[in-house]
Amino acid sequence: MSEKKVYIDPMNIAFAKIMEIFTLVGLLVMLIFGLLYIMGMNPYLNIASVINHWGLPASKFWSQTKGIQVKGYVFLHYLNTMDCLSMLGICIMALAPLFSVLGAVLRARNKIYTILLIILMAEFIFAIIRPIIMAAGGE
Amino acid sequence: MRHKNLVFVLLVILLLGMAGKLFAAGQNVEMSPSNWWVWPLILFCFTFSIGVIAPLSGVGGGVLFVPLATAFFPFSVDFVRGTGLIMALSSALSSAPQLIKKGLANIKIMSPVVVVSIITSVIGGIVGLWITNAFPAGKYYITIALGVVLFLIFIVMITSKRVEFPTVEKVDSLSEKLELEGSWFEPSLDKVVDYKITKLPIGMVCFALVGFIAGMFGLGAGWANVPVLNLIMGAPIKVAVSTSMAIITVNDAAAAWIYMAKGAVLPLIVVPSVLGISIGARIGAWLAVRVKPAFIKYLVLSIMLFAALLDIYKGLHGLGIL
Repeated sequence: MSEKKVYIDPMNIAFAKIMEIFTLVGLLVMLIFGLLYIMGMNPYLNIASVINHWGLPASKFWSQTKGIQVKGYVFLHYLNTMDCLSMLGICIMALAPLFSVLGAVLRARNKIYTILLIILMAEFIFAIIRPIIMAAGGE
Repeated sequence: MRHKNLVFVLLVILLLGMAGKLFAAGQNVEMSPSNWWVWPLILFCFTFSIGVIAPLSGVGGGVLFVPLATAFFPFSVDFVRGTGLIMALSSALSSAPQLIKKGLANIKIMSPVVVVSIITSVIGGIVGLWITNAFPAGKYYITIALGVVLFLIFIVMITSKRVEFPTVEKVDSLSEKLELEGSWFEPSLDKVVDYKITKLPIGMVCFALVGFIAGMFGLGAGWANVPVLNLIMGAPIKVAVSTSMAIITVNDAAAAWIYMAKGAVLPLIVVPSVLGISIGARIGAWLAVRVKPAFIKYLVLSIMLFAALLDIYKGLHGLGIL
C-alpha cells in the first residue's frame, strides 16, 4: 500500500497550499524586520523605552511611551519603521487562515461546507475589522 | 539508552541554567543603550529551552511560556498573552499544512467546530484585555485565573488517556450529514486507516469553552482540543493532534487581531520568542525520536504546577490578600 493512494479532498489541499505560502512570507517579514529593529534600526518604539514600560498594561504602556490610546492597527500608519514592518509580518501570518479558507471555499464540492466556510470567513473578517468599526482612529 | 538519557538531562539542566543566569543578569541591569541586547537574549534562551522540552513532554510551548513568563518575567500579562498567542499561531501554521496534505488534519472536522470556537475565542481575547485594562487590579485577577486554568490543564494532562484508534460504532446525524470521515497512511501498520467522527454537537459545545479560554489567556489549547477530538468525537490520536493544529491556526489568528488592535503585541518580545521556540522545537523534535525519558513529562508538569501556584500567589499578593 502506498502513501499516494490516500485520497485528500481538494478542499484540504487548497487550504494547505495557501496556508504554507502566507506562513512563509509572514514569518520571513516578521523575523527579518524584527531582527533589524532589535539591532536598533529605525524604530517606531524606542527599545529602551519599551523595556522600561513593558510592565504596564497595554493601554498605559502606549500612553506612557507614545502618548496615544491604541484603538486599531496604529502600526499600519508607520510602515517605514522596522518594528511596524515586523508587525506587518504578524498580520500576514494572522491572515493565512482567512485566505486558506477562501481557497477551500472555491474547491468545496459539498454545499454545506461552502456555507460553513463562508460563515467562518465572515466571522474572521468581523474579528479583523471590529476594532476599526467600534473604535475608529487610534491617536 | 541510559547514557543518552543522562546526556539529555544534562542538556536540559544546562539550558535552564543558562536561561536562569541570563534572567538573573537581566534583573540587575539598568537599561542603557549599551545593554539593550540582554532581554532579547534572555527571551531567546528561555523560549529555546521551552522549544527543546515541549516536544519531549507532549506539552505545548504556549502553555509553558504563558504561565512561566507571567510568573518570572517583568512584562505585563497583556504582552505575555499576546506573545503566547503569536507563538502558538506560528507553530501551528508551520505544521498544519504538512499534516493536512498527509490526510492527518482534516478541515471537514475543523470547519463546524471552528465556526463556534472562533466567536468564543475573540470574546475571550476582548474580555481578557478588558479586565486588565479597565480595573486597577485587573492584572491580578487575570494572573489568579491563569493559575486556576493551569491547574485544570494539569489535571487534564495527568488523568486523560489517549486512544490510538477509537472505535466509532454509531455516528450522530449531524456528523453523518457533514460526512466527517477521512483516511491516512499509517506507516506503523503499513496500511491506509479509515476513520469516522461522531458526537459533533457535544464537541462543538466543548470547543466553544476551549476557544474562550485560549483567547482569554493566549494559550494554544491543544491540551483540550486533543482529548475532545480523541475521547469524545472518536478521532484517532494522530488525527486528533493534527486537526487540533488546524483548529489552533484559525482560533489563534482571530484572537491575535484583538491583541494587535489593543497594542498587546510587541516585536521586541515576540521576535526573539518565536525565533527561540522555532529553533528549539526542531532540536526537541529531533531529540524526541532518539531519547524520550518518561520522567520528562512529569518534570514539565511539575514546572507547570509550580508556575500555577506562583501565578495564584502573585495575584493574591497583588490584591493584598497574601
